[in-house]
Amino acid sequence: MNWSLFFDLTVSGLTLGSVYALIALGYSMVYGILKLLNFAHGDVYMIGAFIGWYALHALGGPVSPSVSAWIAVAAMFVAALIGCGLLGVVIERFAYRPLRNAPRIAPLISALGVSFFLQNSALLLFGAAFRNYQSYDLIGSRTFSFGNLYFGTPQILTVSGALVLMVVLTVIVARTTVGKAMRATSYDREAAAMMGIDVDRVISVTFFLGSALAGAAGVMFGLVFGQVYHYMGFIAGLKGFTAAVIGGIGSIPGAMLGGLIVGLGESYSTGYLPQGSTFQNLYVFALLIAVILVRPSGLLGKAAIKKV
Amino acid sequence: MKKLIALALVASALVATALAVGTTRGESAVRASTGSGTTLLTCGKTRTIGLLAPITGPAASIGILQVKWADFYVRTYNASHKKTKFKLMKADTQLGGANGNAEALKSAQAISGSSKVLGVVGPAGSNEVKGTTAVLKGGGLAWVSGSATNTTLTTDGTRTGYFFRTVPPDSAQSKNVSHYIISTLKLKRVYIIDDQEAYSTGLADEVEQQLKAAGVTTTRDGVSQQQSDFSSLIAKIPRDTQLVYLPWQLPPKGQAFGQQMKTAGRAAIKLMGSDGLFDPAFASVGSNVYDSFFPVQPTDSAIKAYKRTHGGQGDYFGAPSYVAAQVVGGAIDRACKNGKATRAEVRGQIKKTNLKKTLLGLPVRFTAGGDLRSGSFGIYQSKNGDFARVG
Repeated sequence: MNWSLFFDLTVSGLTLGSVYALIALGYSMVYGILKLLNFAHGDVYMIGAFIGWYALHALGGPVSPSVSAWIAVAAMFVAALIGCGLLGVVIERFAYRPLRNAPRIAPLISALGVSFFLQNSALLLFGAAFRNYQSYDLIGSRTFSFGNLYFGTPQILTVSGALVLMVVLTVIVARTTVGKAMRATSYDREAAAMMGIDVDRVISVTFFLGSALAGAAGVMFGLVFGQVYHYMGFIAGLKGFTAAVIGGIGSIPGAMLGGLIVGLGESYSTGYLPQGSTFQNLYVFALLIAVILVRPSGLLGKAAIKKV
Repeated sequence: MKKLIALALVASALVATALAVGTTRGESAVRASTGSGTTLLTCGKTRTIGLLAPITGPAASIGILQVKWADFYVRTYNASHKKTKFKLMKADTQLGGANGNAEALKSAQAISGSSKVLGVVGPAGSNEVKGTTAVLKGGGLAWVSGSATNTTLTTDGTRTGYFFRTVPPDSAQSKNVSHYIISTLKLKRVYIIDDQEAYSTGLADEVEQQLKAAGVTTTRDGVSQQQSDFSSLIAKIPRDTQLVYLPWQLPPKGQAFGQQMKTAGRAAIKLMGSDGLFDPAFASVGSNVYDSFFPVQPTDSAIKAYKRTHGGQGDYFGAPSYVAAQVVGGAIDRACKNGKATRAEVRGQIKKTNLKKTLLGLPVRFTAGGDLRSGSFGIYQSKNGDFARVG
């Protein structure tokens, strides 16, 4: 057993998995409340990455920021969290709310439309060129090593940042009034409304939180992997969706677990399976099919109970 | 839940079908508009050159350079010729994009279908050249690429007499790269990663073969151009590797790879790119970055003039596209001497091209297959964030 390779792949998988987990959380939250697969979610993540880039450049850029590097990084996250949160609210208000009582195919098509709209708007507004966060100029190129385990500052930032955001989300959902309202709306929207819960507001909050997490994931991706570009949300969105389904769509712990499984699966398949880097998507989506065949509701999902 | 996932699958299938229909329509339209290129066209005062380049998509950063140089040719020509003018019909190929080949095909069809186009500059990528051959050849057009280097493009006989290029083939590039690795850098362990495109795999095959023949230990891998996360691929690269060879087409991807090598504690391993990565973005990774590139003569008057009008930037990747435009423009002028020309006549004139002095630093004449009669690649090393010639 080559332990050096195993540890490297694990670090890589955890980093990528953290990004997927944050994206998957948005899918899961929206599905939990509205039973809607929000296919525009990957593009919200892309917009978050761009917001982070522009925030960084508004502060002087990565080489000579006008504030300390860590304040610049914090500002990038805050800008992406708020910007994407608001974008999510706007998308829900104008693309999904009018279709809430329409047949299910309608909001699904609307979601696909929003996805293409965002992608092409980004192309129009930001151009086709790749933007680089230049993380090494911003936060240094220091690499930490413990024996055979190597990891850089952006990777530590990504994994720890994702953990913090997941804990915060879990606390919001489990311990706050708005979280209780979200759970009630998810359980039975009509009954929640009859109990005096402002369902529209709860759905807006859900979109805000899910989209904000996608924005944070976009900044994390930019910090670790360097690049942001207009169609980066396509594959990432698909992987996030896969993670949500593997974990059990609608389940917050499931989304986290699914994200890590997809990230680690992608990494290990690249490292260990034949032509892994060429066919990593084949392996990841085969994993999705295998999980769905064995557990149709996902690893931590619950089968819907129908009144008969 | 199951219903919703089924709906999602149906929606995905609809999108895929729409894309497939788009491609099929392109193909059938081509069949309808084909010709042998013998239709006599009135040249007029302003003649049109088709330009196929990745104007958007992941390779836009290099495509834009080709557009800028082609534009520069047209501007220069128009300023110095009172009786005749050129204009470009530009079409996007989205090289490296998820739907890139279909886009290239559609654009080639649009150019081929235009009765005003007499010759074409581009496309940029070898895969695109292969993908658009039927359309352009069917339309009777000649096309001259300033960057497609895959060796077989001019040797498989598929497009002889129609396709030409103003850059040497990968067989020349691979020899220079292998020679530099073996004789100058004197390395023994090389990791080769292609990007799964025709250009990249062809070049990687040739370099791998030559290194192996010289006793260098090589390991081969591949990665999609759609990918930005290379960390798990990098984890597979043994730490005692001396050089990673990246025959890729997208400089930002090379830059990301180099940066992720640093994060993974492999900053000491040398990187060598190919002509597709010849860009300050890749050079910015550090002084252990090497690259091979087309012959370009920086002291040529055209390059100096270009730099003067482009803020001092040479944008060298696009320079051979200027020569390609020069070749097509010259051929159109000669074919249009009597005011009318056919595409077949333009093809014939391109074959006879004889530019004694070009910005490539060598004369341009073509072999029967469409290759330059002379020219070799240079080897460059990153110094202060840009490439300087070292071999």
